[in-house]
Amino acid sequence: MTFLIQQTLIYAVPLMIVALAGVFAERSGIINLALEGIMVFGAFIGVWFVRILQTSDAILSLKQSGNWVALQGVELLTMLVAAAFGALFSLLLSFASINLRADQTIGGTALNLMAPALVLFFIRIIANQNTLQMLTGDAASWFMIKKSTLGIDKNTDLGFFGETFVNKVYLATYVCILLFIILSILLYKTRFGLRLRACGENPQAADSLGINVYKMRYAGTTISGALAGMGGFVYALTTANCASNGDVAGFGFLALAVMIFGNWKPVNIAVSSLLFGLFKCIAASYASIDINGDGVYMLAEIGISAHLYRMLPYIVTLLVLAFTSKSSRAPKAEGIPYDKGQR
Amino acid sequence: MKKFFALLLALVMVLSLVACGDKKTDDNQGDTNTDDQQGATTTYTNPDDIDDNMTSEDGKYEIAFVTDVGQLKDKSFNQGTFDGVKLYAANNGLSYKYYQPANGDQATDDDRYDAMKAAVDGGAKVVVCAGFMQEGALKRAAEEFSDVSFIFIDGYSLKDSNDQVLSNVAGISFKEEQCGYFAGYAVVKEGYEKLGFTGGGGGTNPACIRYGWGFAQGANDAAKELDKTVELNYSWEYGASFQASPELQTMVSGWYSNGTEIVFACGGSMFQSVAAAASAEDGKVVGVDVDQSSESDTVVTSAMKGLSDAAEWAIAKVYDNTWEEIGGTDTSLGVKENAVGLPTATWSMENFTVADYEDLFQKVLNGDVTIDNNSEMADPSTAGLSNVNVNYIGG
Repeated sequence: MTFLIQQTLIYAVPLMIVALAGVFAERSGIINLALEGIMVFGAFIGVWFVRILQTSDAILSLKQSGNWVALQGVELLTMLVAAAFGALFSLLLSFASINLRADQTIGGTALNLMAPALVLFFIRIIANQNTLQMLTGDAASWFMIKKSTLGIDKNTDLGFFGETFVNKVYLATYVCILLFIILSILLYKTRFGLRLRACGENPQAADSLGINVYKMRYAGTTISGALAGMGGFVYALTTANCASNGDVAGFGFLALAVMIFGNWKPVNIAVSSLLFGLFKCIAASYASIDINGDGVYMLAEIGISAHLYRMLPYIVTLLVLAFTSKSSRAPKAEGIPYDKGQR
Repeated sequence: MKKFFALLLALVMVLSLVACGDKKTDDNQGDTNTDDQQGATTTYTNPDDIDDNMTSEDGKYEIAFVTDVGQLKDKSFNQGTFDGVKLYAANNGLSYKYYQPANGDQATDDDRYDAMKAAVDGGAKVVVCAGFMQEGALKRAAEEFSDVSFIFIDGYSLKDSNDQVLSNVAGISFKEEQCGYFAGYAVVKEGYEKLGFTGGGGGTNPACIRYGWGFAQGANDAAKELDKTVELNYSWEYGASFQASPELQTMVSGWYSNGTEIVFACGGSMFQSVAAAASAEDGKVVGVDVDQSSESDTVVTSAMKGLSDAAEWAIAKVYDNTWEEIGGTDTSLGVKENAVGLPTATWSMENFTVADYEDLFQKVLNGDVTIDNNSEMADPSTAGLSNVNVNYIGG
């Protein structure tokens, strides 16, 4: 059970935060199809940053002396850097779709195509191969919080809660969840959030009340880019052993699906990414999941083909979409370039 | 204003491209110069000291290396083979270059053929091709370029379209079942009771199958001697392209969290996923192809085959005019040639000693221990091993 919850969180959290990134852009009226591209870029920047830090003796000595608090600081700093560059990258989309009033779908697709190419170009220059990895060690030994990092004996039982949420976890996971909550409140309970949402529903009306629609849309897309960039690095850190290869296994597109699935609402998004993460986790590890702890691996023993388990996350997505899409409602003005002169 | 922005952006892009390009050529020129000076005086023993890219003066590259699927720097199969290429070339003052077939994991025979053709067009006299998947392309290339020697690592001799043996192809394979056996035997003797095996190639790669089957046999024999039964999770899932993946990491994490103590990661970049899972769950790993102990603290030992040595040895055959010895034939390297084994200097075994290992090595060498080398045995749970419970996952 502990294993299932931990692995589900590992899959769900990047999805969740990137889906929220999509919400911020779309709620302000910009379709951010470039989530995948920005994630790829963010993952690359994050991994590169870690590599650069690892060339410094000061950082290496932190690792050797087991100063895990400082290493968590390194992790947070890297998340920030990835977010900053994600935001920067998303400016290309905002500029094209807000100032130049270009088609947002095309703009996003262009970024999606550009990011892997650009990233691979740099990776080849830096590492002379197609994958950029950490210089030394692996993600878990550097950044994972375990009993041993906290100075607790390996055999101490922390109870269900402790074993699940304190042992073998990444700080990044919790930071993302916290950010998710804070930003959801920002979107719904503050003046800024109301204005942002207004620009995605009826920008003309918002403008008539003195809100600068361009600024709001820039803000929405930039927050979106920052979250997606960060999500990309969190993905690379927790699921790909802190490596970047111009690919995030389609998580950006999955996040788009989760966003639509969750009807552009944070709570629904959180639930649907957890659902998706759960099935993704079952698909990968069905043979070693022991649900009730009796030593019987039920999922492996009922004799269903492995292929079915692998399809499960997508089948479930299709099913739920089929039942919920009737009530789904996108922001009204998303995808339409704002033109001040238009009536 | 808009135009100005566009111009600025364009300029930035062009300049950055120029900047990158410049830097790269500078690097290369610098390296070549030093290479040339050193080439005459020093002998390289560490392949990492040799640059992966060299620039030859006439733009021709005599020794070419065509990679298998996966990365050049996979710290395993491709890299190990390329190390041999680099060592031979650098120590003999020859030019060398590597070619990666287009489309990565999805490379087709055409992509591989194009890479070989590019190598020949680039002036190659010897083309080292790694991986049995190159067969189709290699047949075509070897027939077309009959004056070029092709070394087919992990491969076998080939016939042309008229069913004549291609004398310019040397098939070199390894007895992977032997080093797999050593690894399996050693870890069980060391005291591990719950093992795992995750292999690349989706259960169709003969080399990986032999590794895994040898591992299972070794574990079985050791368990028999200790009079106990060991568990073995056995899977080809998520390894078809030898790449690291989140799914592989999750699957192996699942094994470790259910008590699996050590996993044999049999395939290039897959090692990354297994090592990450092992590090998170305090598990152990057995590396493959080359000594991977420097990659992660979790590596207990590695089932090695002498890729680098074999590549060097085969290339030398071209240059000292003894090519007939291996051209058009199958060469299978094993304990007899000292081409497979475990790295005793870097392993972290405590109960299984170097003496035990050497004893075992001798037994295999003089035939006291026989190891089945069936390349079809992808699922050892069907083999009826007496002291290993094989839990075969997937299908």
